[in-house]
Amino acid sequence: MHIEMWRILLLALYGAWSIYDGLNTAIGFKGSAVTGMFVGLIMGDMTTGLVIGGTLQLMSLGIGSYGGASVPDYNTATIISTAFAVTNHMSTGAAIGLAIPISLLAVNFDIFARFVNTFLQHRAEAYADQGKINAVGRMNLLGSVSWSLSRFLPIFVALWLGNGFVKEALAALPQWFMGGLKTAGGILPALGIAILLKYLPLNKYFAFVLIGFALAAYGKIPMIGISIVALAIAMLITFAKSSNGQPTQAQTVANTNATQLGVDEDE
Amino acid sequence: MSKLTSKDLKQTFFRNLFASSTGWNYEKMMGLGYCYAILPVMKKLYQDPEVLKRRVKSQLQFFNCTAIMSNLVLGANMAIEESEGEQSAETITALKTGLMGPLSGVGDTIFGVTWGTVFFSIAAYMAIEGSPIGCILALILGFLKIPLGYLFLKIGYNQGAKVVDAVGGTVQKVTQIASMVGLTVVGALIPTVVTATSAWVYKHGKVTVNVQTDVLDKILPSLIPVALVALTYWLLGRKHMNSTRVIFILLILAIALYSLKVLA
Repeated sequence: MHIEMWRILLLALYGAWSIYDGLNTAIGFKGSAVTGMFVGLIMGDMTTGLVIGGTLQLMSLGIGSYGGASVPDYNTATIISTAFAVTNHMSTGAAIGLAIPISLLAVNFDIFARFVNTFLQHRAEAYADQGKINAVGRMNLLGSVSWSLSRFLPIFVALWLGNGFVKEALAALPQWFMGGLKTAGGILPALGIAILLKYLPLNKYFAFVLIGFALAAYGKIPMIGISIVALAIAMLITFAKSSNGQPTQAQTVANTNATQLGVDEDE
Repeated sequence: MSKLTSKDLKQTFFRNLFASSTGWNYEKMMGLGYCYAILPVMKKLYQDPEVLKRRVKSQLQFFNCTAIMSNLVLGANMAIEESEGEQSAETITALKTGLMGPLSGVGDTIFGVTWGTVFFSIAAYMAIEGSPIGCILALILGFLKIPLGYLFLKIGYNQGAKVVDAVGGTVQKVTQIASMVGLTVVGALIPTVVTATSAWVYKHGKVTVNVQTDVLDKILPSLIPVALVALTYWLLGRKHMNSTRVIFILLILAIALYSLKVLA
């Protein structure tokens, strides 16, 4: 069974659009869960897309590109692995096992686009020297071509040529490898979490990590509920501090709650 | 010298929204995009082709900033150049390079880390249960975020060079709240998102000990995930480490521990 050409084209276009959105408009089309939803719709099986995309989203939380660092491309991996999973009736575990190596390979296309556009920067500077002001602007827009192609081409080629190959490869892979990849799927989110901890002021607000952990591990409260509790405590602390120099009643309450969870606030 | 109108503000905003990073490159990063956004303003302010040439060349310099936050810089840049003209060239360069770092720090915390973690983890959970509602909500919020960029540009334009003092206090508070919420959600993610349980069962005579349920869970639920996050956090702090290398290490670790039947 192969994937119809119109589906392949739509999927490759989605890949191009989502990298554009991730860089510029930043609406959220590059989130793996959202991508999975659209890929599922294109493939005629939204649920499979949501499950695979959602799983990959949780694995890649925190693995975002800040300051232009190239990071494993889970978005492109979501598109390719979901399309294969729907066509070949693969399990979520097998789809994740496929997505991890793809995301690592796809980093290179990202680097390629960022590299190619250096040429456009030089052209723009030359045009500025010559006084061709409108051409300077065109160089910036032209960059969207290299960005789009950096995702469109790999997705197109992988889906066009890859289905038979992927099927055979999956059948040939040994159990220890597939099982190991499944275990890796459970472990890899630790990376995203560790990256997030690096970005946020961990030393200053370590107490909040404990609150979140306790609410989830012992309280089994869903993420929305935990976010609301966190927002409430954060607002109490932030605005209580600002209204006057002395800790107010609200802040004392927040601190007491923190201490009850075994937090030692020594800032 | 011609004055800038709200049409110019809107044009700059939309150019920055749609093409702030299309020309992103390793050499000047968003320099090309910044120049593109402010290009019509340059053309309006400088009729002398020689001056225009110099200003455009200068606006092509290195720039890198969370796209939505760069609206503050663009706004301030427009206000200063509108009143001071080319003599403000050095001020503009200083403003751009001085603001992009701190603004990115704030922007990445609020719109990158916290926004992405909170809304997309919710979207992911609903997606895994087969519901698209979380994804649609994340997209709606993403659309609603767009007008905020225009607000930033207007604040930057109205405050001009004073933009830092003007937004400093509020931004600090919002960043503090975002950091606190972000860290709480990250703490909650450890037991819910990282799944690693021990497959190890210890047998000696009639005694059978299931390491996961009889030992580890009694000490702390999700003890293995906590240990894995701590290990990864430590790894990331080592020299010559990046996220791709850490993924390879975790992959090998997972395959080894699975084969040795330590982890399920």
